[in-house]
Amino acid sequence: MSKILKIVLAANLIVLAILAFVYPHLMVGPGKLIPGHSKLETDCFACHAPFSGATTERCTTCHKPEEIGKLTTLGQPIQKPLTSTPFHQKLVKQDCLACHSDHAGVKRFHIAGRFNHALLQADARKECQSCHKSPKDSLHEQITGNCSQCHTQEKWVPATFDHDKYFVLDRDHNVKCATCHVRNDYSHYTCYGCHEHSPEKIRREHIEEGIRDFKNCVECHRSADEDDIRMPGRGRERD
Amino acid sequence: MTTPGTASLWRNHILPFTLLVTLLGVATVIGDYLLHRLDLAWVGRYLGIPGTLLIIGSLTYSLRKRKVIASGNVKSWLSMHEIGTWLGSWMVLLHAGVHFNAILPWLATIAMGVNVISGMVGKMLLKRSREHVQAQREHYQLRGLSKAEVEQSVFWESVTFDAMAKWRKVHIPIFIAFAVLALGHIVSIFLFWGWR
Repeated sequence: MSKILKIVLAANLIVLAILAFVYPHLMVGPGKLIPGHSKLETDCFACHAPFSGATTERCTTCHKPEEIGKLTTLGQPIQKPLTSTPFHQKLVKQDCLACHSDHAGVKRFHIAGRFNHALLQADARKECQSCHKSPKDSLHEQITGNCSQCHTQEKWVPATFDHDKYFVLDRDHNVKCATCHVRNDYSHYTCYGCHEHSPEKIRREHIEEGIRDFKNCVECHRSADEDDIRMPGRGRERD
Repeated sequence: MTTPGTASLWRNHILPFTLLVTLLGVATVIGDYLLHRLDLAWVGRYLGIPGTLLIIGSLTYSLRKRKVIASGNVKSWLSMHEIGTWLGSWMVLLHAGVHFNAILPWLATIAMGVNVISGMVGKMLLKRSREHVQAQREHYQLRGLSKAEVEQSVFWESVTFDAMAKWRKVHIPIFIAFAVLALGHIVSIFLFWGWR
């Protein structure tokens, strides 16, 4: 390699090294910081400890855990808190990086909304409505608390509600919810939503069997299986 | 209309070179797509490590060629160098993804790309040199030419060897630029990253 080439190469690399120190956010920073931290853009060591990365200790220097969700870092009350009840005080341990990432390039790898509920203290874990709003539909409107009977803390959808406990949705009943729960009102259902079960036909079949109270179908029929008919108070009645 | 010599140059040298470069690009796009599709984008984040290790490992060939290492067949080391750098570059390209965040890692990636292409040009030149030297020298010696005539006849041999020497003059500075830029990126990662 010629001497001139070596000098040119070395000069270029030295310039790049200088640029990395003068403009670290452009040269080595993995994307822009969140707007609230934009003033720290060129001060990498405000959050990063050398060779160990961003640390909780440095976060909590400005963001005091007992004030998060209540006061800003300047001590002013938060006007529009993201959750109705502050919850950072109810974490099992302070581990900011478990949920937060500031650089745009790093945030990409954090799946939005992926909050690990195991970080919450056991009691706080049951208070879903402190952070989450109940969906505005007829089913959820009548339920308060105890979300875990149908939903897990890992995923809201799919719900773990076991429809088979009430009625088995077999191949003939693999239909849209609204077919039985008209207008998505899950507090009511009807079996007359399809051509198979007309009121007249059902009435005739039940009268023939001497059954006069047949308004609540699932009281006896928990599936389409004709051999699986339960009649409370009268025992299993089918030949 | 192409002459037989031109057709051979295209078939034996330019086509494999083009295919290897294209394959690297296509493999990167497919790999990136699959990682995102399978929700494994985070894997790409760490592929820079094995990629770099493969590239560093493949440099053993240079040490063997310069007799720093005495053992092993040079030809085998060269094959490992070619395969190792290709695979390593592929992993580093997947690691880079199409995410434009900082300038330094992208300069390192570009330098690596130029390095890979330069390496493939070297591979092409070396193959052509070998063919030329072996075939032409034997051919002219068998014809009973005098030493001076053989020397003149194998002029192309020296041309191709010259081409290799000239290629090294370009390839090595490119490699040094790539190595320094990559090292800068690695140092910045060690300095700022939390390894979690």
